[in-house]
Amino acid sequence: MATTVEAPGTSPIGRSTPRVDGPLKVSGAAKYASDFHFPGMLYAVPVGATIANGRVVKIDAAAAEKMPGVRKIFHRENIGKISRSVLGPGFEGICDERRPPFEDDVVRYYGQYIALAVADTFESAKAAADAVRVSYDKEKPNVSTDLKADDEPQVVVTTFGPANRVRSERGDAAGAFASAPVKLDQTYVTPAETHNPIELHATTAIWDGSTLTLYESSQGVFNLQGVLAQMFGLPKENVRVITKFLGSGFGGKLWPWTHCPLAAAAARQLGKPVKLVVSRKMMFQTVGHRPRTQQRVRLGAAADGKLISLQQDYVNDKAILDHYHEDCGEATAFQYSVPNLRVAFGRAKRNIGSPTAMRGPGAVPGLYATESALNELADQLKIDPVQIRVLNEPKIDESLGIPFSSRHLLECFSVGAEKFGWSKRTAEVGSMKRDGLTLGWGMAGCTWVAARFPAAASVQLRDDGTARVACGTQDIGTGTYTVLAQLTAQRAGVPLDKIEVVLGDTSLPAGPISGGSMVTGSVIPAVFAAADNAIASLLNIAVTTPGSAFEKRKPDELAFEGGRVFAKVDGVAKGVPFADLLGRANLRLVTGGGEGAATFGNPKPKFSTQSFGCHFVEVTWQAEIARLRVSRVVTVIDAGRILNPLAGRNQVEGAVVMGIGMALFEHTTYDPQNGAPINSNLADYVMAVNADVPPIEVHFLDYPDKEINELGARGIGEIGLAGIAAAITAAVHHATGVRVRELPVKIEDLI
Amino acid sequence: MRDDPPSSPSRREFLQTTAGTAAAAAIAGSVGGPVVATAGAGVTTADGPRIEGAVPITLRINGKDRKLRVDPRTTLLDCIRETVDLTGTKKGCDHGQCGACTVHVNGRRVNSCLSFAVMHEGEEITTIEGIGGPDSLHPMQAAFVACDGYQCGYCTSGQIMSAVALLKEPCGADDAAVKELMSGNICRCGAYLNIVSAIQQVRRKA
Repeated sequence: MATTVEAPGTSPIGRSTPRVDGPLKVSGAAKYASDFHFPGMLYAVPVGATIANGRVVKIDAAAAEKMPGVRKIFHRENIGKISRSVLGPGFEGICDERRPPFEDDVVRYYGQYIALAVADTFESAKAAADAVRVSYDKEKPNVSTDLKADDEPQVVVTTFGPANRVRSERGDAAGAFASAPVKLDQTYVTPAETHNPIELHATTAIWDGSTLTLYESSQGVFNLQGVLAQMFGLPKENVRVITKFLGSGFGGKLWPWTHCPLAAAAARQLGKPVKLVVSRKMMFQTVGHRPRTQQRVRLGAAADGKLISLQQDYVNDKAILDHYHEDCGEATAFQYSVPNLRVAFGRAKRNIGSPTAMRGPGAVPGLYATESALNELADQLKIDPVQIRVLNEPKIDESLGIPFSSRHLLECFSVGAEKFGWSKRTAEVGSMKRDGLTLGWGMAGCTWVAARFPAAASVQLRDDGTARVACGTQDIGTGTYTVLAQLTAQRAGVPLDKIEVVLGDTSLPAGPISGGSMVTGSVIPAVFAAADNAIASLLNIAVTTPGSAFEKRKPDELAFEGGRVFAKVDGVAKGVPFADLLGRANLRLVTGGGEGAATFGNPKPKFSTQSFGCHFVEVTWQAEIARLRVSRVVTVIDAGRILNPLAGRNQVEGAVVMGIGMALFEHTTYDPQNGAPINSNLADYVMAVNADVPPIEVHFLDYPDKEINELGARGIGEIGLAGIAAAITAAVHHATGVRVRELPVKIEDLI
Repeated sequence: MRDDPPSSPSRREFLQTTAGTAAAAAIAGSVGGPVVATAGAGVTTADGPRIEGAVPITLRINGKDRKLRVDPRTTLLDCIRETVDLTGTKKGCDHGQCGACTVHVNGRRVNSCLSFAVMHEGEEITTIEGIGGPDSLHPMQAAFVACDGYQCGYCTSGQIMSAVALLKEPCGADDAAVKELMSGNICRCGAYLNIVSAIQQVRRKA
């Protein structure tokens, strides 16, 4: 399966590389947003509304203000101006909750911030926040889980990836469904899920009169800079956002949330650094979640399993003021071949905080529905679920009418089936047993978009033989620090341990958001160009420096390899290390800048660029005690070239772990009486723990995709969560005979 | 929060005397190259906030006595992070549900968010900084690096504190036993299999 073009040899690319930031992470020395402390720093604790719909009548802060150590209780009367922000071109000004905090007295969701206590210590601030008395005009909230679109459903016209993936409607989907020999019409539901990165959202804000510095848990420091500059009427260059280490985010930290301008406004008013750490409970209320989706899927097929018609009509819930669309139809229009197709969506307003992107937004709930429907159709036709997918493999991307740059989904299926032992599967429900347990085997396919965001980077070569690479992107935990070191090592010939990597700061060259699984693919051209430009400067220095071994030569007679400059006619063996050249020229360093252009949003792509994969899952079912366990997973991923297999496998394993949670545990429940997320803690919002995780085998096909970048690397952060829930529910059906169409699978569904 | 540090510079002094401004000192962080000194050595001093009803206590953290005046409401976790400025120990839930704040008290692992600092007078407290630094890793820390037993790194201090404590606990030899004993530490990134590999690697060598 693996076809690696570049010879591995000494190249750091494609080699399992322990993380360069590992020693900092394992010793507690890596600094996250809430780890930065400053003289005179104050602590802020927000007060959240205890209603989900209505108005604030009165905020009585008198008692709170008199408490020891309290500096100020802020509310809409005294916080000062916090303006709105607007969306700009590209990735500018993005914000899922557009209304600035404290803008009016209307409460639209439970936990919406209505006041902010600031004190000398966290304990004093917390006590003061608890002592603020609020009276409300309360109305009944609408948090109903039965979703009907508020407006006429629309055909999906724009999805994530290429601009205007317009062909989410083709042929005559309704007519072809009506006349299809075999039909399936089912509705699938995914619940609200909360990201719950273990790092709490946090802001430490420092306002020194004209400049605002924010230590923030952000997946996109540049977007945050732009939004905050707008909110406070500052030139963008007067706002600096720093995210040195990010305790993950899974999409929840992509765009700014309301705590961040609150901390900044408090720092502005009080003239001191202010630290605000969002509590775990508040993280269920105010920093986004994956919305609930309800998806009706109708499949029409021939008797042999060939798809004739596919319709997907879905609704997601959204906040009162905002318009988040969970793009469940993202992959529907191209994953399989079908001549008649219609994907339409609607949204239903609820008294909830704004939803936001969560790992694999759109595709993850969407593929749960469509892959589940395909599994059901296969069972209905008594066709192997792998076979029905092979039968419907498209030759091109039928939504765009263009070829895929690199699609090896069929090989994913064959490799996965072989590694899993799929041929031993007997189709009858409950027919497979081991050690007194009933086994269930299920599978599903997956896909995730691949594209590049714009990226810039700089590379320095220094006179001590070290290099520095800088890019204002973030390492969300995927291994970005290490990838940048690998890329610089590859291009500049500097050993990994002599490369300093600097990320997470708006004072650096603009880097991409940590989102869409696109950082690695995006930074490759930028870092390579930066290294090439640094090397070009070095060659110029080599020919112009008096006494240099290359003084009489022209730059184009020289080459650079393995950290050495050499004359092409003499070969690298007679080369001079760059540190020596810099030393002779009395230069501390040379710097090169580089940029990579975006492919994301390309209106006329020549190729459809996607990653693909599949999951094979075994569950064990012990009917006597209603015990269901995922016992084995084999996942095969076709994501182009894998730059660091050690971190890459970890990404996919982690996604499968989250998929086990999605299929079996995770759901945020809103109390219909008061609209509060009632399981707003990590004991009641159940996520997979160590003991829940079975052996997971991950295989990468490793076909470079040169349409994406010169190394052929697509992203891998999200694809592993796509499709896994459909594979698990198929395995549950195979073991128990119960078809669960609303996640998560609950024990009461099975008994 | 007051303190009379015997010799170490205070957090504020440290920040004020390092690299010009506090901000410059704190954000110099990068990966690779020289390890950037972190302001973990000191404690807050007399110019810290006055706390009404503060209680004088001495906490022995990582082998060093620290004379502190703390709010009786201060949890051990917040005391370690905010008063003593050892920020390697993390807050993930403040409810004893995630394990990110795990430290050792008298050699046993505890969730430091679940008890008050004033309850630990005279006890031997060990945080991740006391296990090993970036240049002097404990075998468990080195194994986590080698096995990629993390992703974002935020829960990692707690995972390693649990893992080091586990070495002295009655734990079966197989992976399943380790997984059971490590299930109080949530890793949302899902690096569980690599965490188990790291622990087993250390146990096999022990």
